[in-house]
Amino acid sequence: MFDFLIQGFGVALTPLNLGLAFLGALLGTLFGALPGIGPINGIAILMPLAYTLGLPAESALILLAGIYTGSEYGGRMSSILLNVPGDAGAVMTTLDGHPLAKKGLAGPALGLSAVSSFIGATVAIIGLTLFAPLLAIIAVKFGPAEFFALMIFAFASMSAMMGKDPIKTLIGAVLGVLISTVGVDSGTGVLRFTFDMPELYDGIDFVVMIIGLFAVSEILLMLEHAFRHDQEGEMAPIGRVMVKMSEVLYCKWAILRSSVIGFVIGVLPGTGASVASAVAYTTEKRISDHDNSFGTGNMRGLAAPEAANNASAAGSFVPMLTLGIPGSGTTAILLGALMLYNINPGPMMFREQPVVVGGLIASLYIGNVMLLLLNLPLAGVFARVLQVPRWLLVPSVAILAFVGVYQLHSDLMAIYLMLIIGVFGYLLRKFGFSLAPVVLGFVLGGLMEENLRRALSISGGDTGILFQSNLSIGLWIAAALVVLVPMFAGKLKAKFLPAAKAS
Amino acid sequence: MKLAADRILSLLLLGLAAFVAVQAWQLQVPFSYDPVGPKAFPLLLSGLLAVLAIVLFIRPGASGQWPTGALLLRLVFTMVVLGVYAALFINLGYLVTTALVSIVIAWLFGAVPVKAVVGGLLLAVGSYLLFTYGLGISLPTGSWIEPLLGSN
Repeated sequence: MFDFLIQGFGVALTPLNLGLAFLGALLGTLFGALPGIGPINGIAILMPLAYTLGLPAESALILLAGIYTGSEYGGRMSSILLNVPGDAGAVMTTLDGHPLAKKGLAGPALGLSAVSSFIGATVAIIGLTLFAPLLAIIAVKFGPAEFFALMIFAFASMSAMMGKDPIKTLIGAVLGVLISTVGVDSGTGVLRFTFDMPELYDGIDFVVMIIGLFAVSEILLMLEHAFRHDQEGEMAPIGRVMVKMSEVLYCKWAILRSSVIGFVIGVLPGTGASVASAVAYTTEKRISDHDNSFGTGNMRGLAAPEAANNASAAGSFVPMLTLGIPGSGTTAILLGALMLYNINPGPMMFREQPVVVGGLIASLYIGNVMLLLLNLPLAGVFARVLQVPRWLLVPSVAILAFVGVYQLHSDLMAIYLMLIIGVFGYLLRKFGFSLAPVVLGFVLGGLMEENLRRALSISGGDTGILFQSNLSIGLWIAAALVVLVPMFAGKLKAKFLPAAKAS
Repeated sequence: MKLAADRILSLLLLGLAAFVAVQAWQLQVPFSYDPVGPKAFPLLLSGLLAVLAIVLFIRPGASGQWPTGALLLRLVFTMVVLGVYAALFINLGYLVTTALVSIVIAWLFGAVPVKAVVGGLLLAVGSYLLFTYGLGISLPTGSWIEPLLGSN
């Protein structure tokens, strides 16, 4: 049953892939630590690198996964030292992390968060190893109708869990799916929404879309931030990055509980680190905050969200690798990257691509150890990255975006398209949209239509087939439940998120 | 009635939904065995988008902070700079355009001119060396430089 893992270690332990896992961990930590650039932006900006290097699919995925998990590590630095969360998943880390830094405990706080992250990720990777093959067995039973229902469930749980604005989450997803319909329709060869522009016949390119949406819009947002408040917060001195064994032991239950919470939430399709860390933090506060010290620099208040957020990062690989449904916006980008290698995501991926899947899981184990070894002694060095001035950072992001798109297409149209999408992404972010549903919609849109049409051509056009098997009925009910339950339990959610609003 | 940002957005989305529906409706579909065809899915999406837009109109959220005045000007200027970067990227070459764009952006982000010029030049040359020799990417050298080098 665990053949895939043995085979995977065979793949991941080749010198090239070991080197890439290390490179990914290093670059990920650096980019995650850059102020304002969270994991998802980091991976969007660095993605073209994987193609530039001309890597085979499994190596590219190992590099990208390293960047992903690395940036989750790096993201905590600006949260703890500057009180600036790099993304929504890091908000909870600021609540107790920054007060700790202000007390002069920045070093131990960084150390503790590295250890919690490591344990959280380890628990989740073990969960992934055990759970993925089981889910892959069920996944084989998925026909097109079930697959379609599963995608509906992914969007439903995303809109319910993404928090503040479910309507905008759904609108974002619909916009993403709509963008995916541009180009030649694979079923009939009809051109859709191409407006007689040959450049659009193949649809909107994934790399162009991601870089425009994240990197270009980030440039505009950074300009706004720089304009509004010129000075970032004072950076706390770090001191020695060492966490005492007694401090880790003090947090052990907080870490373990949060790891499990993070993994479970990460597995749910469509929900990621932001929900996981929020739930873990509030749970831990309820269980172990006896003296009301959460929010003033309690070590457990730091350990809980850190463990949860890394556990959910690894957990979100479960639906991605077994069902082809990404568990988060970031894994949606990874999945899109895989599709560029002509690997069809879906229930059969686990069987058909054991090298890719096994190699990835094995490299997660290896990368996680590398990250701990990198982050404990070198946190002080990485923290210097926080002081990179914006006037150097922003041109670098622009250069990476341009070179990334140019070297894939050598075509000016692609660059213009990237800029247009960048403005679109900026407007979406200003309107309060999260970009993750848009990416998820864009990546899943094609599969969604394909499966719907395949199901209906099996039944000769009868929509009844969508609700025929027990599996699909169950998925439709689950989708309805995740949308309806929070509506009636709105107060419960208000309890979960007040801390985020206060920060 | 004060028009919230979300209301304007909702009207734009309704417009988009209508546009998608009309475009999809006009698709010429050849005979095929596919009972659904290319029209149905976009039509379904435009319907869904319209419903969501109406819900958004009824329950708009907070309007947020929108750029005005000097900031808006800077944002537009940044996009123009990036557009010009794209337009000249191939003909003028990577080194020249990247240096110029980096200097302008650095200046936009508040670097003093000397720092901006030094930083921009270093970024351009450093990244050129890294990309060409480190990663083996061929970047445009610029059409003006080729005659100078004597290559055709």
